[in-house]
Amino acid sequence: MIVLQLVVNGVLLGGTYILLAQGLNLVFGVMGIVNLAHGSIITVAGLFTYWFVTHTDQSPLWLIPCVFVVMLAAGAVLQRLLLEPLAKLGNRRELLSLMVTFGLSYVIVETALNFFGSQYVSLPNLQETWSIGGLAINEALVAAGVLGGLISGCLHVWLHYTPSGKALLATSQNATGAVTCGIDVRRMRGISFAIGSALAGIAGVLLILILPLSAPTADTLTILSFVIVALGGLGDYKGAVFAGLLLGLVQSGVGYYLGGDVEVIVPYLLLIAFMVLRPQGLGQAAR
Amino acid sequence: MSGGKLHVRGGAFFAPLIAAAVLFAAVAAHAQKPIVIGASISETGPLAVDAAYHLKGIQLGIADANANGGWLGRKLELKLYDDQSNPGTAVRLYTRLITEDKVDLLVGPYSSGISQAVAPLMNKYEHVTPMPGASLPSIFSAGNKWAFQLLPPATGYLDGMLPMTKALGAHKVAILQAQLSFTLACGQARLDQAKALGMDVVYSTTYAMPPPDFSSIALAIKSANPDAVIVCSYYPDAVGLAQALHRIGYAPKFFAETIGPAEDQFVSALGPITNRIISNTSWWPSLKTHDNAGFIARYKAMFHEDPDYHSAATYAAMQVLGAAVKATKSLDQEKLRAWIATHEVETVQGMFKSGPTGLSLGFDQYMFQIQNGKRLLVWPAKDEQAKVQVPYTGQ
Amino acid sequence: MNLDARQVSQWIGRRLAAPASAVVTGPQPLATAILVAVIACAGVVPLVTSAYILQLATDILTFAALAYSWNVISGCTGYLSFGQVSFFGIGAYATSALVLHTGIPWYVAAVIGSAIGGVSAAISGTIMLRLRGIMFALGMLGLARILMVVSSNWDYIGGAAGLTLPAQLTPVAVYLAMWVTVLVAFALNYFVLHSQWGLSVIGVRDDEVAASAVGVPTSWVKIIAFIMSALAPAAVGGLVAWNRSFLDPPSAFDPTLDLQVIVFALFGGIGTLWGPALGTVILVIVGEQFWAYLPDLQLALYGVLIIAVVLAFPGGVVGIANKFGWLRRRPVAAPATFPTVTRPAQPATAGNDAVIEVRDLTVRFGGLVALNSVSLVVKRGEMVSIIGANGAGKTTLFNAITGFVKPNEGGVYYQGKLVSAIPSHQRARQGIARTFQIPRLMESMTVWENTLLAARNGKRAAAAVDQAAWALHTVKLDNRWLELPNKLSPGQQRRLEMARALALDPTVILLDEVMAGMTRDEQGEIRAVLRHFRDLGVAAVAGVEHIISAIADISDRMIVLDRGKKIAEGTPEAVLRDPIVIESYLGKVS
Repeated sequence: MIVLQLVVNGVLLGGTYILLAQGLNLVFGVMGIVNLAHGSIITVAGLFTYWFVTHTDQSPLWLIPCVFVVMLAAGAVLQRLLLEPLAKLGNRRELLSLMVTFGLSYVIVETALNFFGSQYVSLPNLQETWSIGGLAINEALVAAGVLGGLISGCLHVWLHYTPSGKALLATSQNATGAVTCGIDVRRMRGISFAIGSALAGIAGVLLILILPLSAPTADTLTILSFVIVALGGLGDYKGAVFAGLLLGLVQSGVGYYLGGDVEVIVPYLLLIAFMVLRPQGLGQAAR
Repeated sequence: MSGGKLHVRGGAFFAPLIAAAVLFAAVAAHAQKPIVIGASISETGPLAVDAAYHLKGIQLGIADANANGGWLGRKLELKLYDDQSNPGTAVRLYTRLITEDKVDLLVGPYSSGISQAVAPLMNKYEHVTPMPGASLPSIFSAGNKWAFQLLPPATGYLDGMLPMTKALGAHKVAILQAQLSFTLACGQARLDQAKALGMDVVYSTTYAMPPPDFSSIALAIKSANPDAVIVCSYYPDAVGLAQALHRIGYAPKFFAETIGPAEDQFVSALGPITNRIISNTSWWPSLKTHDNAGFIARYKAMFHEDPDYHSAATYAAMQVLGAAVKATKSLDQEKLRAWIATHEVETVQGMFKSGPTGLSLGFDQYMFQIQNGKRLLVWPAKDEQAKVQVPYTGQ
Repeated sequence: MNLDARQVSQWIGRRLAAPASAVVTGPQPLATAILVAVIACAGVVPLVTSAYILQLATDILTFAALAYSWNVISGCTGYLSFGQVSFFGIGAYATSALVLHTGIPWYVAAVIGSAIGGVSAAISGTIMLRLRGIMFALGMLGLARILMVVSSNWDYIGGAAGLTLPAQLTPVAVYLAMWVTVLVAFALNYFVLHSQWGLSVIGVRDDEVAASAVGVPTSWVKIIAFIMSALAPAAVGGLVAWNRSFLDPPSAFDPTLDLQVIVFALFGGIGTLWGPALGTVILVIVGEQFWAYLPDLQLALYGVLIIAVVLAFPGGVVGIANKFGWLRRRPVAAPATFPTVTRPAQPATAGNDAVIEVRDLTVRFGGLVALNSVSLVVKRGEMVSIIGANGAGKTTLFNAITGFVKPNEGGVYYQGKLVSAIPSHQRARQGIARTFQIPRLMESMTVWENTLLAARNGKRAAAAVDQAAWALHTVKLDNRWLELPNKLSPGQQRRLEMARALALDPTVILLDEVMAGMTRDEQGEIRAVLRHFRDLGVAAVAGVEHIISAIADISDRMIVLDRGKKIAEGTPEAVLRDPIVIESYLGKVS
């Protein structure tokens, strides 16, 4: 029974991880850069949700479409102003884009700190716990997992079955090739960053129901998301699904049998081990 | 020209008067030169929220002293810096306060971590300093002479929990500790206490910060099935663990966490599952300590909000300094230190009494329980506002 | 002296708009002398003013030492690290534990602590440096987190409760020890940026593959640079711990320390000699005054600063200074004028023994067979051209011979010995040189340094200089020796690659797509160089897709590859008449 509950917990946790990571994954896949401000977008969206719910008493779920649209616009603007100028810089681009998003994360986090304060906040919404055959299953975690799965599914459909998605996928696989096929790669980069930011935003809306968040949490979330993206094979959105579930299950088991100290460093140990042993990621292994 | 003459004549006429006036003014100015109190507080950064209470206690202490004519007939003035929640910056700023600004008296910074970083300076420069932000006992170990603890030590957090639950029939306990210096001090003390009381520790773990996902730890607690769960926590883990227990549908009979339940956001974040959670505090509005009601009233008048235990600790620090200055009629550091080390002072936080290495011996710890959204003192019995409610239901 | 403001601002504007040439020849003693004088004065002032100034100066030195160390691995080697604080923490714990548990004097402990930092860099480097880019950056961050948890659970070093250390050090002692540390860190930077060995480090940053192809043992170079970047942080960690008299895991492995260090180095100019010092001094001192008015926004403004510097002035303060002719880097080991070429005549390499022999070489990428059981022999001093369409397997063949691709079957023999197990940089050093399909030159090095890097190859410094001069002279690039590669025409870039290959003193040079994209004049220049190879006794293997006529008449033999298979071999005349070749190239003539 314990093992079964551990598996259920691990899967639910993994679902949340998938939700966190897909936005980062998309940006990496198309632009080839790691957005170090990813966690701060999640956090600020979460803090905003807290502020919105405590001031209006509405359900946080209403915010999901609004935040999606707002972050879509904000992401497009940020990409155009901060990252597009770096696109033509050749092999220094990776380092410089890391620096820019690193700086951006501080701007977002510190501004949020001034606006929302440094205290941890969370929301008591969607906290029903169902008992199904002796297994406890929590509403908020299920919502996050479902959304995470939904996003991954939508990405799959979009990338493989729509013209704009196919163009994006082509860009991520071979930017030079995409240019020769008449794809506006610049536009694709803008779209991917906009959608990546929007996905981070809606992840934040749900995350505030799951974890206590405060502005300084942002870095932890960026790293966690990155670990999942890296484990899955950078830019591989199916691999990220496996990686999220794997991390959730491993953490669940390690936390139970080895305690809280080891659980905290599981993502880093997995990251270093996988990068050394299996740099191509989990997604390739699964195919 | 004539104006010049007149001026000279007038000057000659008034000269003695002016000289007398200048002399008087100088003497008066000297008498009026304020006593400067120096402190560096985390006005920004992650500690800023609690540090704001810390600062307000000092400010109220200064305002009260000035309303009563100051100390030694001199007004008090605060020289304040912001350490941005950074221990390294705090070290620099306290060095500056002592060596550059040459302030008369110091009050310690907020948080055990930053206090720990600056305490060696007090001993290096031999500057007496009450430390109202330092619950960590190891700061006040052998070698410390000049820093005085103005909080009850962290080893006393939830020290009533095991005796109280044992009396109510609990035997098996789970003890969890965050990997922070003061929570570990608390956790070790509770583990030792459980042994001394002959209670059975069925589960014990530490966890690093920032906190992990607690679902597995919660499940491990559930498997061990203790009567009482004691968490030596900081804020986010207090919230996370309560959530995790709820999510696997487990409620121990007694559930206590150190930092967290005292904050208003704790209840708004978790809702009804906070009901009957027990926690500890070093100060409470209902306490019958000396002038507690007056302190609360003046604090509300000045800041339009309720004080919390951080403000009580810094206000108590000002009370101790004031008593020492008045008793020794001096600002001499060695005289002040000798007096504080050997005298008891009544403060809003209870009786101040220092051990040989500056460790607090006089202040008490209290426990409160959240009962239907209200926090009420439930321990010790002499101060209780309500009887403790059992069991914790998790909803 | 009618210098009005408009003229001045125009002059500054022109300077800022001008493309920055990062290097300068000739003396530039003034700026350096001023800097040194200012630093020396600044070093004395804290000793005679107040304790606060002393503490501030100690903090500046602390950050400068950390920024210089970060600069070695991230600025010069190109491995961006978010976790150099790991070594700060290791040094802090090592020093503290040594003094507490063994009672040795603190300065001895600090030196040992620094050495322990270096050793841990050597150990962790063997794993971490296999990661690249963001993986390495975040892997290092993870390492710091892992170390924090480990130290929290290790009671010998105080566990999570931390260590309280007796106050032993006077502030002046800390200050002076910190100066020593900064000077050591500075000296390491100077060594990397101004020595012949340092070229290998810069080479790894600019293009790790190309560096390996010119004989740089990249794994070693990276680990040594990593060790260099760990020594000073470990010493600084020990000093800071003793200065504060307290050490616990969060203060030992504080990730925001890295943030500050990165901001300082970036602001001053990454990968430059003076950038870390300038960035630290300016930001700490200006910050101290400026942030006092905006305490809430300090870190946010740091963020804005990073973005602004990256987008507007990627070179930082030093980059701006370069545009005015100040603080420019001098090319390594470059004399005032191009050295006289004094290369002794090549010893005549008689005989027609096989230099390279490839036996039944098969290379597969997943399901794709890139090379299918190819065998060939190249003899000493011979000119062989390998022709084949795009995808025929030429580049894969070259990669397999030079060790960049591991063959699935078959072996590569060099001068009769199997070299399949030898890493690529050693093959280069033994005499298998190559060029790339698209020239891979070190973009931040001058033409001179590009060649010198290859010329080192185990030689003494003076001999390397002679060798590089000879190689550049041979390909007729001596008049452009101080240009950066991006200023060269495509033909000149090809020739620079050839010079680089020649500088290795090779027995055979593999030239991938030697004529691609060349004008007729450029083809002529390259043909001249190729002909010269024969006089030098160097075998040449040229891969060619088009423009076969430009290579046919100077080739001894010609080999044709088609979809991974060798389909023809012989003299150029015979091969070019071969119906199979014609069919594969032009399609079947019906």
